[in-house]
Amino acid sequence: MSHEGTLPVSKQNMTIFGGVKSQGRLNRKKTAVMAFGVLFMAGCARDAPQDTWQPKGENASNINTLQWIVFPLAGVVGVAVFALIGFVLWRYRDKGQAIPHQSHGNPAVEITLTIIPALILSVVGVFTFRGIFQLAQTNDTQMVINVTGQQWWWEYDYPAQVVNGVEISQPIITAGQLVIPTDTKVLLRETSRDVIHSYWIPALNGKKDAVPGRINLLRLQAYKPGIYAGQCTEFCGLSHANMRMEAVALEPADFATWVANQQRNAQQPAQASLAQEGEGVFLNQCIRCHQVNGLKKADGTAAIAAPDENVYSGAAPNLTHLMSRNTFAGAAFDLVTSDCRKNIWTASPEQFGAAYLEGVSPKCLNQTNLRRWLRNAPEMKPMYADPTKLASSDGKYRGMPNLNLSESDIDKLVAYLSTLK
Amino acid sequence: MITTGSKYCFGIAGLGSLGALIYMILINPSDVGVLALLGIAIAMSIVGGVTQFTGDFDADTVSDAITVSASAPANSMWPLLLALGGVLLLVGMTTNPIIFLLGIVVIVAAGIEWALQSWAERASEDSAFNRFVRERALTSLELPLLAGGAVAVIAIAFSRIMLAVSPENGAIIFIVVATAVLAVGFLIAVKTNLKKTSITAVCVLGAVALLVSGGIAGQSGNREQLVSAAAEEHYSHKDCEETASKYFDKNSEKTVSMKSGILATIRVKDGKLSAQLIGLDAPVATVTVARSNQATILFRNLDDEEHRLVANLGVKKVGETGVVEKIVDCTQMTGKNQTQALLLKINKPSASSGPYTFTVPGLEGQEIALVVP
Ligand code: HEC
Ligand SMILES: [Cu+2]
Repeated sequence: MSHEGTLPVSKQNMTIFGGVKSQGRLNRKKTAVMAFGVLFMAGCARDAPQDTWQPKGENASNINTLQWIVFPLAGVVGVAVFALIGFVLWRYRDKGQAIPHQSHGNPAVEITLTIIPALILSVVGVFTFRGIFQLAQTNDTQMVINVTGQQWWWEYDYPAQVVNGVEISQPIITAGQLVIPTDTKVLLRETSRDVIHSYWIPALNGKKDAVPGRINLLRLQAYKPGIYAGQCTEFCGLSHANMRMEAVALEPADFATWVANQQRNAQQPAQASLAQEGEGVFLNQCIRCHQVNGLKKADGTAAIAAPDENVYSGAAPNLTHLMSRNTFAGAAFDLVTSDCRKNIWTASPEQFGAAYLEGVSPKCLNQTNLRRWLRNAPEMKPMYADPTKLASSDGKYRGMPNLNLSESDIDKLVAYLSTLK
Repeated sequence: MITTGSKYCFGIAGLGSLGALIYMILINPSDVGVLALLGIAIAMSIVGGVTQFTGDFDADTVSDAITVSASAPANSMWPLLLALGGVLLLVGMTTNPIIFLLGIVVIVAAGIEWALQSWAERASEDSAFNRFVRERALTSLELPLLAGGAVAVIAIAFSRIMLAVSPENGAIIFIVVATAVLAVGFLIAVKTNLKKTSITAVCVLGAVALLVSGGIAGQSGNREQLVSAAAEEHYSHKDCEETASKYFDKNSEKTVSMKSGILATIRVKDGKLSAQLIGLDAPVATVTVARSNQATILFRNLDDEEHRLVANLGVKKVGETGVVEKIVDCTQMTGKNQTQALLLKINKPSASSGPYTFTVPGLEGQEIALVVP
């Protein structure tokens, strides 16, 4: 996948294990010790954006506090129990010895072994309940965002509201990247259009299922500007592994800039430009699924997408501001080149806002990925989008089909999509 | 010596590895299937190793543990029924899901009966006592199930009759039958010297009469009134007017016990319309509903007059006629302190034929914006 560095742990393991294998002379003990050491060190990977031990917001910090209490306790108990079992297995194994004296019950031991776990569990219980209530708190919410999961991407819509003095006068709709202001208690109201999904940004909070027909609440808050990666954690079909999401936290002032931009309709491309030809292709091929706010048909009426007639979930990403997000298709692929991506991900908190708000400039646009997507989307991300097999999904696609576009149409579309800032 | 227990484990481990090898060669070396098979092999080797090491599961102790019952099993119809269940299962798979379900029921019932019977046969040397424990274990199962079945048959047959006849005749039938049942029951209770056969005869007669008339009523279908009401959509056609409508508002629910899955609550209080999103305390002027997804809006009326909530969802053209028709949806009439749920699924964004609004007929000039992005 295009996200170098998102899953460094497994990569690291693979290369080092490969190394061990090639040096076949090492004896077994050494190999075992090394393998364990590698596993152990892999736990300390530096570039691990989905590390649950590195909270970047209040809710995740609460969870982290709890796991620093429960994990060591459980670890000590677990190690002690397994050590004891091992000792007993070894010490009292069958060596043909006589059956030892059999006795029934030992009140002192039994009472001790009841009281100690009870004490441990009540300590754990007190902190756990405190954590549960902290995480469930919603009455001091400052902002709400509706989050809808579907195979295999997330849609966000921001209801009209006033956030930190910034007015969202018209609802905003976007996909893949969730943009929130820093130090703001944001309430996600999650649901799903097809199967159960689960929303998880480890640096900001635990996971919460998105269930069709229900609205589940999840609170996020980020201390500092930055991008926080996550992925769907409820198996949801073919491309579950490619159903990612990113939370982007911006300083309130930057957030206001983002809101102002998102509320604008798409601009009409310049007369007789390649982009204008692209708009024509878009109206032919793409409008039946993708909405672009403000886009007009040739007769001057509003072009309205009909994903409800073409896609199983009834939705496809709104592309009005495609170039304001730097990943696409369920945040699984980069819309920016790897250099530009690095600039954004490694920007200091002070510079992050400006870097993100710049969006996908022509220089940064990852032409390779976008063209690959337009050429044959299901080849890039597995989806049930084979026109010959529509009967098995109510005549609708799950995902984006291969539209067999010509290279010149792709050129035009790329030019048009680049104007959707 | 390798003990019996660990032999099994090692055997499975060997088979697992072999399976993994074949899988890798024939299907795909990097498939999860290989991982699963190897996982089984590794787990089984560990378990086998531990059993072997601790000297558990010796052949002697296993044979010691089995105590063979001296008495041979009695005649039983359960194996036969079990086989019948299997046949039903197979036939049902290819024909009718109901036969398939019947097969499952027969298999489960026969399995339980058979298992309990053979357990009871080994309970003691005394066959009379064995029969007693079997009955004690099983009647607690059989009785409620049979009674439940009987109640279901009575309810279905009787309801078919009541739906087929006119409401007036229905009332008469109800009174006559109830009186007859009461009278017979009274007779049986008072006349203790009644013969058992005559009581059985009366009961069988009643059952047959119920089944036959139920069957006939079921065949002849619902009474004319109900048929025409369904055809004219009296109960699903929504009149969203200010005044109560004859059919749609007839049986409005008084309460809604929905707690999750609610998008917003819209209230009428002192003639004022207000909306609140779940999770946000301050009232809002706009409710946002994601397109193509079910959304539930609660409507709560706190005023004395009855009100209903109406969602105005733009307009549509009726076929080729060019006639433009409003799209509306609404709750039933809602009395004071009552709540109704309005379920919306809007496929087109409000930009298509909007603006969409929530209104309450009778409260003119007030609306809540409804935006579908
Ligand atoms: C049959 C419906 C359908 C058609 C037609 C269609 N798409 Fe898509 N498209 C989708 C779906 C569904 C997704 C989401 C796929 C996913 O992420 O799993 C998508 C995703 C995308 C994305 C990524 C958006 C994001 O923010 O993640 C782009 C860009 C895109 N499509 C462009 C196009 C263009 C350009 C066309 C016309 C040539 C087009 N699509 C035609 C259904 C469609
Ligand atoms: Cu998912």
